[in-house]
Amino acid sequence: MSGGVYGGDEVGAIVLDFGGYSIRAGYAGEDTPKAEIPSSVGVLEEAEAVMETDEIKKDGGRKYFIDTNSLRVPRKGMEVQAFLKDGMIDNWDIFESVLDYTYKRHIQSESQEHPVMMSEASWNSRAKRERLTEIMFEKYNVPAFFLCKNAVLSAFANGRSTGLVVDSGATYTTAVPVYDGYVLGQAIVKSPLAGDFISLECRKLMEELNIDVIPPYMIASKEPVNENQAPKWKKKEIPEVTSSFHNYMVKDVLQDFAASVLQVSDVPYEESGAESMPCTPYEFPNGFHRDFAEDRIKIPEMLFDPSQIKDVPSNSMLSVGHVITTSVGMCDIDIRPSLYSSLIVVGGNSLLNGFSDRLNRDLSNKLTANMRLKLISATGTSERRFSTWIGGSILASLGSFQQMWISKQEYDEGGKSCVEKKCP
Amino acid sequence: MSGMDVHDILELDRGPEKEFITKDALMNSDKKKKLARKSDANTFKKPEGMHRELWGLLWTDNRFPCNKDAPPLIPTDTNQGYKQMKAKIGSSKVRPWKWMPFTNPARKDGAIFHHWRRVADEGKDYPFARFNKQPEVPVYSDLEYQQHLHDDNWSRQETDHLFELCKRFSLRFVVMYDRWDRDKFSSRSVEDLKERYYNICNKLVKVRAPHGAEPKIRAYDAEHERKRKSQLIKLFERTTEQVEEEEKLIEELKKIELRKKEREKKTQDLQKLITAADSNIDSRKSDKKKASKKFPQTQKLHKETTALTPETTGIKFPDFKQPGAYVRSQKMKLPATIGQKKTKAIEQVLEEMGIEYNPMPTDEITGHFNELRQDIVLLYELKLALATCDYELETLKHQYEVLNPGKTPDVPLPETPDPLVDIGQRDDDSSRDNIDVVGSLTPNRKRKAALESTTAHLLKKMKNRV
Repeated sequence: MSGGVYGGDEVGAIVLDFGGYSIRAGYAGEDTPKAEIPSSVGVLEEAEAVMETDEIKKDGGRKYFIDTNSLRVPRKGMEVQAFLKDGMIDNWDIFESVLDYTYKRHIQSESQEHPVMMSEASWNSRAKRERLTEIMFEKYNVPAFFLCKNAVLSAFANGRSTGLVVDSGATYTTAVPVYDGYVLGQAIVKSPLAGDFISLECRKLMEELNIDVIPPYMIASKEPVNENQAPKWKKKEIPEVTSSFHNYMVKDVLQDFAASVLQVSDVPYEESGAESMPCTPYEFPNGFHRDFAEDRIKIPEMLFDPSQIKDVPSNSMLSVGHVITTSVGMCDIDIRPSLYSSLIVVGGNSLLNGFSDRLNRDLSNKLTANMRLKLISATGTSERRFSTWIGGSILASLGSFQQMWISKQEYDEGGKSCVEKKCP
Repeated sequence: MSGMDVHDILELDRGPEKEFITKDALMNSDKKKKLARKSDANTFKKPEGMHRELWGLLWTDNRFPCNKDAPPLIPTDTNQGYKQMKAKIGSSKVRPWKWMPFTNPARKDGAIFHHWRRVADEGKDYPFARFNKQPEVPVYSDLEYQQHLHDDNWSRQETDHLFELCKRFSLRFVVMYDRWDRDKFSSRSVEDLKERYYNICNKLVKVRAPHGAEPKIRAYDAEHERKRKSQLIKLFERTTEQVEEEEKLIEELKKIELRKKEREKKTQDLQKLITAADSNIDSRKSDKKKASKKFPQTQKLHKETTALTPETTGIKFPDFKQPGAYVRSQKMKLPATIGQKKTKAIEQVLEEMGIEYNPMPTDEITGHFNELRQDIVLLYELKLALATCDYELETLKHQYEVLNPGKTPDVPLPETPDPLVDIGQRDDDSSRDNIDVVGSLTPNRKRKAALESTTAHLLKKMKNRV
């Protein structure tokens, strides 16, 4: 606090970031979240709980299995369910259980002692924001609360207050213009061509190639086999699981496949050029392994060229580059140069090999020479996946931010509608 | 040593406080003090009257026995050795920190937060509160609004909404435009919002200003801004093809300008030649018939061109003004500056005419022979120029036909056989020498015709004379 340069001032705030894939929680001022919890929760409808463990939350005859360790245990009749829909909180019951769990297991402190900074989708509705505020103040009794758009936080994490945040996460690839720390809501463009889409395409590919993806939970033992040979593995004795659980586990394998095999080609895909690309081997959990050549390029190519998608009319989807140009095109002409000159690429899906290089190429082809283009993306995996959380961590520990909180007093006076006024 | 010298010259005594070094000072590793670590006791004063240089020698020698720099025989704790004791930094007491509550003066609700702070700073103002700066947004009363601020385009509610947004978003008009309540009010552009806001500000300033005082007005020209933005958008929305086309056009323009310059240079060169030819003819002509019809015009042209190009072409035979006798044939010797091609040309013409290459150098013959050769060189140059002009004409014709297929260039043959008049006209035209390649056909043609007749003229004259 001695010099004017360092502007940090800790007030012990907690930062919560809700994403389509996972929830991140931790203390403000730290560089990575303390906990990352999957956004999917196991739900068991029967109420005949035999024993209560930490992860299990009982509520109206339902049991919730939260966090990786309990979620991935195969249980009879357990459905896997996401409580976020369209980036917004949809199932408040599960949300509260997750929050309870987070406080109990990861924060390990009383909620009334820590101000809470929470991220939200840039297109969050007013009703949901107010409900969230209400829950935080009434149920958790937080001393202060702040709701911030995740695009703004991502921009802050990359050291900008103005820029176009291109967030390619699990459910959506979005382009959100941020101007001076405010989201320009009229110019948000969303496209469903994101991480989940990639997983889906991988699944289609496996079906096409007749590869049976066996998630690890089914496997008791396996033996090494040669390439392209039928796998030798023994099935584990497991209870009958629901299809949602199985799908969740399969998707997990496919996500790993996508992360380790897929490659975005530098130039638009051509049949001939793809052959020269190197193959990458991948071993599935059951021991089957083979090389993947052109398919590893074909799938991510769909992000940049939707006409490659087979069963969808080609013009109904926006490519990543198109999402960006459309969004910028809706902004005031005066701020367009500053948006293009700080194009902030975040989100787990943007970690696909070659993603930002290709994006850079596509955009510079579209733009005229007098428009300066600069892609900003953190190199580290966690910096890119947790950019929203990191931005929240920075913001909540800034000395000059401490006047922005909605305090308990303000909430008591103004009611839940104060969130609209205080959190732009 | 030099520091000592300066002190000696200025006859200054170094103050003891500078040289006296305490252990504490050393511990703080003050570099200045380290340098001046000669203690008072060891410094011998220079005896009065002794030369500085001598004293310097003596004193240096003197140093050894009195162990100035010599290493000590026993260890000392004076810190004067090679090793410095580590400086003790921050030897003051520990200042404890405490998790304490604070209120932020930038907040209006008086909410209490907790943070870590030094105990010593307890009770002081929150240091970050001073960053809480907000732009001033004027507030108007009902009366003011009714009297001055009414606008047919804007309702009171809309204006209120505008000012509320101004306050909330600290005059970030782009954000205000984004958050504008489009359900309640009609959509407005950023410029509309700015225009209304600044108009109101200016009106309020004017109304509130005391009589006689000149209020400060913020200028905002909405029309200009709109125009600027529409132009910016046009610039932004150019396609790559358009940009390429523009670049291509600019390149073409540059090429055309370059060609134009070249052409002008060529014209000048030609003019030079023609002038030279003219002056040759004129000088002879004027002897014979002084009252020529075209004389005034020629004179005019002559003046103009000579002003432009003072140097003449042809051969310059050196003047012999050496003392003593010399061979007259020396006068006929071609100067070395003439190129081989020209020399060859001269030889050829002379052969055609049946003239000896080295005639008998009588006074008369020498003069005539030199003149003849001058004319030959001139003729040669004119012919060359003609050839280039012909070539150019053909290329242009070809270009014209390519550009306008099916048409042959309509080039009028010059009616005036007199080259001089023609050139005079051409000279006037030159100011509007077209950039267009096709358009420049006619003047070129004219020039060519003019040249042709000039050379023909010349040749005839020469033949006559010979």
